[in-house]
Amino acid sequence: MSFSDATAAVSDELAARDDIIVCDGIDKWYGDFQALKGVSANIKEQEVVVVLGPSGSGKSTWIRCINRLEQHQSGRIIVDGVELTNDTRNIEKIRSEVGMVFQQFNLFPHLSVVDNISLAPIWVRKRPRAEAERQARELLERVGIPEQAEKFPGQLSGGQQQRVAIARALAMEPRIMLFDEPTSALDPEMIKEVLDVMKELALGGMTMMVVTHEMGFAREVADRIIFMESGEIVEAGTPEHFFTNPQEDRTKLFLSQIL
Amino acid sequence: MSSELEHLDGGTAELIANADDREAEEAASRPDEPSLPPLEWLRANLFSSVLNTILTIVFGLAGVLAFQRLLNWAFSHEREWDAVRVNMRALFTFTYPSSQYGRIWITLGIALTLAGLSLGLSRMVGQGFSLKRISTWFMAWGGAVIAGILLVQPHAKRSANGEVLLDADFEPVRESFGTAMADRGWWWLIGVLLLVVGVTMWVGLGDLKRRTTFIGAIPFTLGVLAVLVSTLWWFHWGNYGEQGDIIEPGRTVKDSAKLPWTAMWVVLTAAYIVGRQIAVTDRAGSVRVLVNFSWLLTPFVTFWVILRDPAIDYAHVWSTDLPMAVAFIIGGGAVLFLLTKPGLGEVGRIISIGLFGVAIFNWVAAFFGIYPMLQKARISFLLLALIALAAHNFAGERKQRLRFVLAWAGVMAILHYLVTMINAPSTVDAPDEFVGGFLVTVYIAAFTMIFSFPLGILLALGRTSTLPIFRVLSTIYIETVRGVPFITILFFFSTFLNIFLPDGMEIEQLAAAGLGFALFSAAYLAENIRGGLQAVRRGQYEASDALGLTTVQRTGFIVLPQALRVSIPPLVGATISTFKETSLLAIIGIIDFLRVANSVVPGQTVFLGVRMEGLLFVCMIYWVGAYSMSKFSQRLERHLGVGEH
Repeated sequence: MSFSDATAAVSDELAARDDIIVCDGIDKWYGDFQALKGVSANIKEQEVVVVLGPSGSGKSTWIRCINRLEQHQSGRIIVDGVELTNDTRNIEKIRSEVGMVFQQFNLFPHLSVVDNISLAPIWVRKRPRAEAERQARELLERVGIPEQAEKFPGQLSGGQQQRVAIARALAMEPRIMLFDEPTSALDPEMIKEVLDVMKELALGGMTMMVVTHEMGFAREVADRIIFMESGEIVEAGTPEHFFTNPQEDRTKLFLSQIL
Repeated sequence: MSSELEHLDGGTAELIANADDREAEEAASRPDEPSLPPLEWLRANLFSSVLNTILTIVFGLAGVLAFQRLLNWAFSHEREWDAVRVNMRALFTFTYPSSQYGRIWITLGIALTLAGLSLGLSRMVGQGFSLKRISTWFMAWGGAVIAGILLVQPHAKRSANGEVLLDADFEPVRESFGTAMADRGWWWLIGVLLLVVGVTMWVGLGDLKRRTTFIGAIPFTLGVLAVLVSTLWWFHWGNYGEQGDIIEPGRTVKDSAKLPWTAMWVVLTAAYIVGRQIAVTDRAGSVRVLVNFSWLLTPFVTFWVILRDPAIDYAHVWSTDLPMAVAFIIGGGAVLFLLTKPGLGEVGRIISIGLFGVAIFNWVAAFFGIYPMLQKARISFLLLALIALAAHNFAGERKQRLRFVLAWAGVMAILHYLVTMINAPSTVDAPDEFVGGFLVTVYIAAFTMIFSFPLGILLALGRTSTLPIFRVLSTIYIETVRGVPFITILFFFSTFLNIFLPDGMEIEQLAAAGLGFALFSAAYLAENIRGGLQAVRRGQYEASDALGLTTVQRTGFIVLPQALRVSIPPLVGATISTFKETSLLAIIGIIDFLRVANSVVPGQTVFLGVRMEGLLFVCMIYWVGAYSMSKFSQRLERHLGVGEH
C-alpha cells in the first residue's frame, strides 16, 4: 500500500487542514520479526482515526511508535512539526504534546486520583500545585466522576479508572490523544461510559488515534478508518466506505469474521 | 523484685504473641461469626484428632518444662540480679560522667519529641485495640503469673547466718511447697488481680465488648508507659551504683529516675498531642517534612553536639568557617538560580557536568595530596555539583527557583554548622571510651540506617540502570561486599581505614565502625530494593514516559515509592538485623551494651564472674527493640496497603 493511498480517502474539508502526524515508511523489527512494514499515513489536525485489524497486526506497535514508547528503525515520524529522533529533548517535547491512554489504564496506584492527574502538569508543565489540582477536579467533572477525587485507583471500577487515565492525559493539554485498546480490559457494562467520554472528546475537536475493536465507535465517530494486517496498512477510508464497500479481500474477510 | 518482674516479661511474651495472632484471626471473621466458647475452642484447635492431641500434650509439656526451668533459674537464690541493677548506668552509658547526664536526658527528650510528633502527624489508620483483646491480655498475664507461682520450686532453706543448709547428700534442703506458696503473697495478689480485671472486662462489659476499637494503639501504649513510670514514684526499684561501685543504701533508682522519666513521658505525650493538633491543619504536610528532616539530623546533633559539648574556637569560626559558609551559600545559590532557569538547555547541562568533573577531580587530588583544601570545602563543592546535575528538573517560575536556592542555603548552613561542631574537641571528659553501652548501640544502629538507606537506593538504581558504567560499578560494589564476611569489613574499617585516607583526614574508631556498618548494610539493602524495583510493572514506566516525566522524576515519584513499599518487609528485616549486629562492636574493642554485660560487669570485684544475669537482661532489651520494630512494620504495611487493590 503506498503513502498516497492511505491518505487519499478523506473528505475535502479535512483535506484542507494541516497534517499533524506524518508517518513515512516506518519499519520496526523485534529481533527477526518485522512488526511494521513501511507504514505510511498522515493524520490531519482534529481528525479522528480508528485503527482496526486482527491481533498481532501491528496497530498497537504503530501508535506506540508515535510517542516513542517503541523505537522505529527506519522511516520518519514527524509529530507537530518535530521529527522523532534519538534527541531526548525532542522526545520530551513530543510526549508532552501527545496524550496516551493504555489498555491496562496504568494509573499510579500509590497516588490519589487528583495526584495522578496533577503530577505531570506540576512537574512537566511547572504549574502551581493549587492550579493543577483545580484543573484536575475540572477534568474529573468532565469525565463524570468528580466525587472520586480523593480515592486511590485501586478503589475504583475499571471504567472509572480508565476515565481517570483519560483525564490524566488531558491534564497535559495535549494536541493529540492516542488510545491503545482503551476498552479491551473492561467489563462489558463499563465500556459505554469510556466510549462516551471519548466521543465527547472527538466532538470537541481533539486529534485522536484509536486502536480498538469497538466497531460501533469506529462507525459513529471516526473520520477515517485504517485497516492493518501483518504490519501493513491494507486499506483506509471513511467508515461508510470501509463498512459498506471494502475493496480488499483481507478487509472483507476481517469484516466477515467480526460483524 | 524489679528484675523478677522484668524477667516475667520475657517468659510470657510468647503467650501474649499467640493471643495477638488469635485475635487477628478473630478480627477477620467478625462480626457475623461469634468466637467459640473456650472449651469448644480448645477441642476444635488443640484436641481435634489423636495426632493433634499428642502434639498438644508433648509440646505443651515441653513448653511448661522450659518455662519452669527458666523461672527456677531466674528466681534461684544463686542469681545476683544486683549485678544488673547496680550496673544499670554502666550498661546504658558506660563511662559517660554522671555529672553530665543532663545531656543524655536532653538527647532522649529530643528523640521522644520527634517520636511523639511523628506519631501524632502520621496518617496511619491504626486499628487500635478492642476491649475484648485487652481483657484477653489481662487474663493471659494473670494466668502466666499464677502458672509461674505454681511452677517455681521452693527456695533452699538457709540457716540464721544465711548459709544454705545441706542434707546428707550435700543437696540443699528445700523449703516445703506450702511455705513457698504462702510466702508469695504479692505475686498471688498480682496474678489474681490481673485475672479478676480481665474476667470482669470480659463478662461485665457486654456491649462495649462488641466494639472493634475501644482505644487507639498509641493512647494505649502511652497509658501503659504512664503506669510503668508511675511505679517509679511509689516503688523503690532497688539501689544503683556508679561504674560498679557497691550499692549504697542512699542511692535508690526511685529517687534518681522518677523526675527525669516523668518528664520524658510528659514530653512524649505532649508532642503526640501537639502532633495530633497539627495533623488536622493545612500545615500538616510541611510540618511532616520538617519532622522527617529533623530525624535525619538527630544522630549528628545529639551525638556530636549535645553529648560531646564541643569546645568551639571562635577565632577560627569568624576567620574561616563563617566566611566559607557564606561564600558557598551565596556562590552556590547564584549558580543554582542560574541553572534552574527554564529553557537554559544544553548550556546548563554542560555547566553542571563541568562542575561535577571539577568536584571529582577535587577528591582525586585530595587522595594524591596535589593541593590542600579544607574537607568542608570539598564536601560542599561535591554537594553543589550533585545538586547542579539535577537542577534542570526544578526549573520553573522565579518563586520556585528561589525556594530551591533557599533549600540549598539551609542545607549548607546546617552542614557547615555540623562539621564545625564535629571537628571541635569535646569538653565532656570521659575516662575511657567517650560513650559506650546501649547508647553506642542505638547510635550505630541509627547512623547505619540513615546512611545505608539512601546509599542502598542509589546502588539498587545503579544496578538496574541502563547506563553501563553505573551498572558495572554498582554490581561490583554489591557483589564484593556481599562476598566478604561482615567481621572482616569491620576489622578493616576500625583498623586500616585511616591508612587509606588522604593526608590530614582522620576518622575516629567509632565513626569508622559506623561507616563500615553503613557501607555493608547498604549492599544488602540494595538487593532488597532491587527486588522491589523489579516488581514495578512496565506499564508504570510507560505511563510516566507518555506523560513526559524525566527519568529522575519518573524514578522519584513513580518507581521508587512503589518499589520501596514492596520492599518494606525485607527492609525492616535488614534494620532489625543491623540493630542486633551492633553487638559485633564488642569484637573490635568498642565497649557496647553486650560487652559491658559480658566482660565489664563480671570483672568487677563485687560481681566477679556474674555473667548470665547481664546477658539475659541484654537479650531482653534487644528483643523488646526488635519486636517493636517488627510490630511497627506490620502496621506500616497494613497502612500502605490501603491505596492498593
